[in-house]
Amino acid sequence: MRRLLHEMNPSLKFLAVTACMLALAFFFNPWTPLMFFLGIVLVQLLFSQTNWKLWSLVMLPFVFGAFGYFWTTLVFGESGDGPVLWTIGMIEITAQKWEHAWSLSLRVLAFSSISLLFAFTTDPVRFIQSLMQQGKLSPKLAFSVLISYQFLPVLKTEFEQLQQAHRLRGPGAKPTPFKRITALRRLLIPLLAGAVRKAERAAFAMEARAFTGAARSHYREIKLGHKDYALLGMFSLVLALSCSAVFWT
Amino acid sequence: MPVLKPIFQLDDFSFRFPESAQPTLHTITLAIYPQERLVITGPSGCGKSTLLYVLNRLYPHNCDGEVSGNVRIFGRISQEYEPGEANRHVATVFQDPDSQFCMPTVEEELAFTLENLQVPREEMPKRIDRILRMTGLDDIRHGVIQNFSGGMKQRIATACALIMEPDCLLLDEPLAHLDPLTAKEFVAWLGQLQQQSGLAIVAVEHKLELWGEFFDREVSLSENGAIQKDQAYTRRNAPFLPKRETAKQPKVLFEARDVSITRASKALLRGASLQLYEGEVMVIAGPNGSGKSTLLKALCGIMKRDSGMISGEFAGFVPQSPEQLFLSKTVEEELSYSGNSSPHDVKDLLEALALNPIAQDHPFSVSHGQKRRVAIGAMLADRRQVLLLDEPTAGQDLKALMELHHQITSRAQDGCALIVVTHDMNFALSIADTICLMKDGRLSAPLEPQELFSSPALLAEHRLYWPEKEESYATSFT
Repeated sequence: MRRLLHEMNPSLKFLAVTACMLALAFFFNPWTPLMFFLGIVLVQLLFSQTNWKLWSLVMLPFVFGAFGYFWTTLVFGESGDGPVLWTIGMIEITAQKWEHAWSLSLRVLAFSSISLLFAFTTDPVRFIQSLMQQGKLSPKLAFSVLISYQFLPVLKTEFEQLQQAHRLRGPGAKPTPFKRITALRRLLIPLLAGAVRKAERAAFAMEARAFTGAARSHYREIKLGHKDYALLGMFSLVLALSCSAVFWT
Repeated sequence: MPVLKPIFQLDDFSFRFPESAQPTLHTITLAIYPQERLVITGPSGCGKSTLLYVLNRLYPHNCDGEVSGNVRIFGRISQEYEPGEANRHVATVFQDPDSQFCMPTVEEELAFTLENLQVPREEMPKRIDRILRMTGLDDIRHGVIQNFSGGMKQRIATACALIMEPDCLLLDEPLAHLDPLTAKEFVAWLGQLQQQSGLAIVAVEHKLELWGEFFDREVSLSENGAIQKDQAYTRRNAPFLPKRETAKQPKVLFEARDVSITRASKALLRGASLQLYEGEVMVIAGPNGSGKSTLLKALCGIMKRDSGMISGEFAGFVPQSPEQLFLSKTVEEELSYSGNSSPHDVKDLLEALALNPIAQDHPFSVSHGQKRRVAIGAMLADRRQVLLLDEPTAGQDLKALMELHHQITSRAQDGCALIVVTHDMNFALSIADTICLMKDGRLSAPLEPQELFSSPALLAEHRLYWPEKEESYATSFT
């Protein structure tokens, strides 16, 4: 049970996540995103093995963002005609403002929860393979993504090496703030030049192994079965329940 | 015995890159037969790799090169093949172990080749099992490629090439990034595979001393890209490099005591101590990943040490790719960048390092040897009298080695102290006053080169190998 979300077909999961986000965009009451957020966290709790400590850490900036929305809406939002609930200093908080503030900030949380669910339960390589097998993504495009995924750690080491080498040269004769910014350009140009060289080598290596971008067989079959549709149903249920908040609030 | 049909047949073949005036390959006529073990040699930039890329049909298809004459692959004109079609029978292993993989694990990488060949899924596990057994890589089937050492990556790349069941394997300086004993092991392993599978092997290489008796034919290209010699291969010893006269003075220039670095709870350096005298050349050698580069970075202060102390003159660092240091648009500006040297001193340095002819060139556009001289010049102009050279010998041909030798000799005579990290023990013997060995972050006390030379156990322990004394201990270690 705890592996279900990880094993779900990644293309279908992606479709479900995108559909949820699009649907949520049409609901402007605070209850829909709140219920959706709670529902998604519950689903993730039940059907995945998530490192919740890491999850909270990644969630933190979104929570700050949500609070930012909440506060700025209260301070700068349109007051409307509704009754004034409180007055804090110069700020009059009307019922409409209050609702808008909650709605906006909960929306941020709802969107981030569903995005994190996808990020925490999806292996990027499997996702690309699935897009190739179910989504008919062209192998050329798919493998360029896969190979850049392999290059990220290499580029990171290269960037660190460049930074270290430049630290040795010092800030130059007269370091000014402007010079510091242009120094970044000096890091980026050799880094990009190196990346282009590496990309060419990788392309050669792939062609040398008979990669042409034409049709191919697949070693790891990414299946699409009943379980996947059942999970899709569950996402739809969470979405439908949250959206139904329109009728009972 | 039936006459074998050649795998490759080149007739009067010339090749020119669109951006260069002179042809890179010049009227080459060559036939390569099944089961041959052929090496292509020649000075840097003579077109060896280009020739290899013509054989696997990456050129001229991928570079709009201008071609005359014919290349036939299995009797069929090269241009008639679809892209990737010829590569089903001609496999290639490249020089850079880091940029020839596109999947995370060994198994998936092997499968990538089979997927390209549209091998049915049911058949794949069998072929993967077989190749893993044949190459002795069973244990790392699910290993993550990026975590392996350079030597292992080259083996994985070879396995990925062999799983195609090719008729010919092309190798582009496959040993350039390996330490000497790892290189020897790779050669022995490749020899066994060749005997089992009977494929032809064509390699580009200039460090022949590591290959022993491996090849049976040698094609050497001259500077202008024509075939100079096509002859039976004879085993090579390491090239002769003159022994440098010591310039060591009694004055201590630089000292480090008990330098330790721990990163992510892994000890990279464990209490390294050393002393450098004026005019001294010290070589540091040891296996890949033993902490040599970390030590150099700690000594010149670009990596923070956790404990220990460093005193004496400032140390300057020349990375394996010297262009990493460059910040300016011309060589002259590069030297005067820090503002630590007067214009007069910069002029003197340009003169001493023979950089005057390229003083107004962009430092990225000069040759590799010149780049290193610019980097050394920049360090000296920054008032760093202790020079730390990281792997300056990797992938260098004899001419480049001689230039490096000359450069180190002159700097030592001028009163600098140098530390050179290298795997090339032949080179080390010719320049070193002292040799320190490194393993698992520990630095040995300085040894006389002769002392090390007579201690095979010590060499083997640090995965080093003295090219002249072949086989006696290298095989016992594997």
